[in-house]
Amino acid sequence: MHNAQPQYDRFNLFQRIEHGVLLVSFTVLAITGLPQMFSLQPWAVFMIAALGGIETVRIIHRAAAVLLIVGTIYHFVAVSYRIFVRRVAMTMLPGWQDVRDGLQALGYNVGLVKTPPRMGRYNFGEKIEYWAVIWGTVVMVLTGFMLWNPIATTTFLPGQFIPAAKAAHGGEALLAVLSIITWHFYNVHVKRFNRSMFTGKISHEEMEEEHALELEALTRRERSEPDPEGVQRRQRLFTPVAAVITTALLIGLYFFVTYEQTAITTVPRQQVDVFTPLTPESGRVQ
Amino acid sequence: MCGRRLWWLAVAWVAVMGATLLGSQPAIAQPTVQPTVQPTVQPTVQPTVQSVSPPDAACRLCHADSTETMTLPTGDVVHAGLDLGVLDASVHGASAAAPVYCTDCHGPRQRYQYPHATNPAQNLTQFQAEIAANCEQCHLSAEMHNPGHLQAAAGSAVPNCVDCHGGHDTAPVAAMQADPVGTCQRCHQQFDDPHVADVHAEVVANFGAGQSCQTCHASEPQSEDARCQSCHSLLTRQLTLPSGDTVDLHVNPEDIVNSMHGARVLQGVQYTTLRCTDCHREQGLWGFPHQPIDAVTRRQLTIGMQQVCQECHSDIFDRNADGVHAQHIVDGNLEAATCADCHGNHAIHDPNEPRERISQTCGNCHSEINAQYATSVHGAALLGEHNPDVPVCTDCHGVHNIPDPTTAAFRLSSPQMCGRCHADAALMSKYNISTDVFDTYVADFHGTTVTLFEHQSPDEETNKAVCYDCHGVHNILPVTDENSQVIKANLLVTCQQCHPDATTNFPDAWTSHFKPSLEHNPLVYFVNLFYMIVIPATVGGFLLFIATDIFRRIREWFGRRQRRKDA
Repeated sequence: MHNAQPQYDRFNLFQRIEHGVLLVSFTVLAITGLPQMFSLQPWAVFMIAALGGIETVRIIHRAAAVLLIVGTIYHFVAVSYRIFVRRVAMTMLPGWQDVRDGLQALGYNVGLVKTPPRMGRYNFGEKIEYWAVIWGTVVMVLTGFMLWNPIATTTFLPGQFIPAAKAAHGGEALLAVLSIITWHFYNVHVKRFNRSMFTGKISHEEMEEEHALELEALTRRERSEPDPEGVQRRQRLFTPVAAVITTALLIGLYFFVTYEQTAITTVPRQQVDVFTPLTPESGRVQ
Repeated sequence: MCGRRLWWLAVAWVAVMGATLLGSQPAIAQPTVQPTVQPTVQPTVQPTVQSVSPPDAACRLCHADSTETMTLPTGDVVHAGLDLGVLDASVHGASAAAPVYCTDCHGPRQRYQYPHATNPAQNLTQFQAEIAANCEQCHLSAEMHNPGHLQAAAGSAVPNCVDCHGGHDTAPVAAMQADPVGTCQRCHQQFDDPHVADVHAEVVANFGAGQSCQTCHASEPQSEDARCQSCHSLLTRQLTLPSGDTVDLHVNPEDIVNSMHGARVLQGVQYTTLRCTDCHREQGLWGFPHQPIDAVTRRQLTIGMQQVCQECHSDIFDRNADGVHAQHIVDGNLEAATCADCHGNHAIHDPNEPRERISQTCGNCHSEINAQYATSVHGAALLGEHNPDVPVCTDCHGVHNIPDPTTAAFRLSSPQMCGRCHADAALMSKYNISTDVFDTYVADFHGTTVTLFEHQSPDEETNKAVCYDCHGVHNILPVTDENSQVIKANLLVTCQQCHPDATTNFPDAWTSHFKPSLEHNPLVYFVNLFYMIVIPATVGGFLLFIATDIFRRIREWFGRRQRRKDA
């Protein structure tokens, strides 16, 4: 389509794999989670049956949750590496410029402003999405932990936090899914199919429209590689620290998954003698 | 015989004729006594003419020492001689309330004049029957006294008075009663059977006031029921089965008449009282003497009888066959209830009247459960207040096709069972009980799981709590009762049944059937409120922005097309 135009690198392979993991885990969580939230709607009953029953759905949901958390831990480490070791600019941090860009884009759309905003590596729309994912993941992991470990939770929090966590888990899930369907799907699939998360490349036209400042910087070659010596030095410190933190987080995840045996696995039964005739003769007639 | 003597006989005969024609006629009035009353000798012949010599002196003269015989056409032989001592000792003899003369019985007189005319009887039976017919001159007619015999099949030898009571040696009634079967035994050989004789003796021994042989043997037409009742209403003995179990043989006929099986109109159809043999119809059981029954134990007998109920109540029987009781019997547990265990046998009454009767019926076998139920909120209201709304056993367990309550299917459907009443707003408003209990349960983790299991795999076990896991099964108490399993003070222990590690705060994780509100579970309420605002606001904002973007792109598209046209 735009083969003739120059292509620019946008996402490296690891970032694309990360996105793939997020895509898979999020989709599975949504598919197995929403039917649980609306469990008695006919469509939900159908989906739960199709997925193998509620207990199976719960197991799939929890497996996907573990995948999401592993991906999140990886993301945390990878971002830390880029920031602390490679000293990459924190282009995802939101600022007032993003608010202005958003308002300008809105004004431009309705015809009040003559020119569209010129935006950096991550524009306001992408930052909204990124931070929504961060916020959403934090909420979902925390509330998910509470629901997964209600006994552990209620040893230090009031019991009401459990149903509240369930409400928040569902509300946040609905918000996330609806946001993805509207904001994400429109911006990267409908408006124009943005293949950069799969190919790693972005077209010149897209760069001009969405990341004009980034394009400008690339053209000016403002981005310079960090000095290899400094990277090596910082890496020596980062590696053990990251290893410890990663280990701690993974232990936390293991704890998350296995900490408590919430309930017995047998069926509760009341024991009562069934045949207890009033007299040896009762229940007997001639 | 010498000629002179015969002459005197003829003279005497004429004299007797004259006297008795005048004197005995008015006495031949038919009595109007009810047939069930022990017939007694009517005040009979009151001779108005006091003869110098007895009117039968002439008969006695010849027949006392006669060795004459009369051969009837069939070859039967009638002996003319009789032992006057026997006659005088009989009830018709010297001790009779009034004299009975030969021709009172041997009639018609014309034929017995001397020389005697040829007797038209073809055989001894006819000869006796003619004489027996004369008994009615003083006694109850055979139709009323002993109609049973007259019902005997045509052609068989119908006994007449003489056959039982004798001829010249007619025995006193008291003597016959002393040996009630001795007379009958002559024809009815079954009394030779000591068992039959024994049973009969017990029946006779148990005669109540106003009862006699006629109680059983004279009411006509004697129905099969009457035949059964004639013994079983008087028997007090027990039948001993091979196992040693005993069966009481006494039956009060009133029990059946007053039972559901008594005469009644059902759905516009008039039903008559069920007969004994409608149920006790096995071959050989109702004929007499009865043949031995197959059952070894009384339990087998009771269980065997349920087939009889099936004949009329096949739909109920079929449903019962699916029930837990019938299944247990099929599996060899003979303790399980059959029809009669719950409904009774002869005295079957409406099982639902009064409603308390239902729990009592079940309690006969399930006494421990019934005792728990009696103290529950439901049972106490039933037994204490005759409350018509609380469930009795059958409301939860069903009636005939009672499902096994230990199955997964029963457990999974149990919330629906409780919900039948507890989600009924009209019913619950009477008792100020919230109907949110069902919806809030279903909306919660436990209820959601159970409901989904019920929809999708109703035979699969799930350990998620159902109503009775928390509230109790038969011992459900009001949620205000200090011993209730679900009041705050006891809830942790209840939770720990399934969540053994649960601690103090854990029970509050359950919303106690309250829909979240400012008053109950406010944190949940606020979280819900937060998302009710944030979700539409966020998604709405996105959609608004997207709309403006689309708006711009359409404008640009039209602009480009315009420019191309212009160019």
